[in-house]
Amino acid sequence: MTYYTLVTALPHLPPLPQCKELPISRIALDRRLSMLSDADRQQLQQAERLYHQGDVSLQSLPDQTLVRDWQQQLQQLESPLIRERIQLKLEWQTLLAALRYRQQGRIGPEHFSGFGRWTGQIRRHWHEPLFGLDTALPFLAELQPLLLKGHSGELEQQLNAWLWKDLLFIERSVQFTLDTVICFVLRWGLTEKHLKSDAVQALEAFQHLTSQLLNTPAITQHIESAFEDLS
Amino acid sequence: MDNLILALGWAGLYGPMALGAIGSMIGCSLAGQAAAGALLETETGHGRYIGISAMPSSQSIYGIVVMFALNRELNIDNAAGLAAIGLLCGLALMFSAIYQGRSCASAINVSKIRPEIFGMSLAPAAIVEGFAVFAFIFALVISAGVPA
Repeated sequence: MTYYTLVTALPHLPPLPQCKELPISRIALDRRLSMLSDADRQQLQQAERLYHQGDVSLQSLPDQTLVRDWQQQLQQLESPLIRERIQLKLEWQTLLAALRYRQQGRIGPEHFSGFGRWTGQIRRHWHEPLFGLDTALPFLAELQPLLLKGHSGELEQQLNAWLWKDLLFIERSVQFTLDTVICFVLRWGLTEKHLKSDAVQALEAFQHLTSQLLNTPAITQHIESAFEDLS
Repeated sequence: MDNLILALGWAGLYGPMALGAIGSMIGCSLAGQAAAGALLETETGHGRYIGISAMPSSQSIYGIVVMFALNRELNIDNAAGLAAIGLLCGLALMFSAIYQGRSCASAINVSKIRPEIFGMSLAPAAIVEGFAVFAFIFALVISAGVPA
């Protein structure tokens, strides 16, 4: 099957830092994705589930069980290219988990279990600042200071921006295939997450501002008099 | 053996037309599918998307002209020559139409995002067309050497 109609029917997603709103809603996106066959849609859903880890019920499972579950689900994906993208995301997730575990001192290297090619290296070099992965992953060095300062939101945004570019590169190299569609939907998910996290920040700022304003004596007086007028 | 050579001669006569038409069908279909998707996503410029999707149809026309240029009374002396020119020209036209269709689909996909690069995005499709023209012109030139 060719995907020419579907690929050109998908809108342009601007880069994460420039994106202020989603160019297409989930409902409209799903309507366009209905052009896919059932088998393709299953592949897409599987890829989305793994990439975005939206299944809350899995979060309560121990790490080893989670990793086994990921491995089993990855086997069901037919495209090696998409499998590689998801593996990369899960490996980064493992790395960040290791950094967090070590920072909190919750577990030692012997109890750490993760996903992918860096897990053994992480265990062996647990006490090195970047698990001995400095040269292999220079981007990790940029993320560590953010984690040490506790800027986990910014850290996630940087990682998402990096993963977004990685997906865009793949999307452009495999035009008009199911992989193109899957990469687009995964990028859409990253954009949605990015915008949601921005919305949360905006809500927090708004709540802070309103609580400050409501505690101002003049405004409190004004509100009280308005209530008195109403009653 | 003579019958086989004569059959190949007939295939060479009709080949440019048939293979060119097959290529145009596939190429126009690929570009047309892309144009249909772009109609959903854009508010204006629909006409030009449909126009681009018809670009790979020129190979069919080249095929018809080559077929008429090769058309002559078929005999054992000219059948092999006609087969070679006709089939090779037909294959060249077919592949150029298919790949031109793909180039057109890519042009539609990018110009949907940035309409100002519409003209530039058509350059790859125009280059592919150039190769189809080479195959067409030189088939005409070389057909003059085939005995009548």
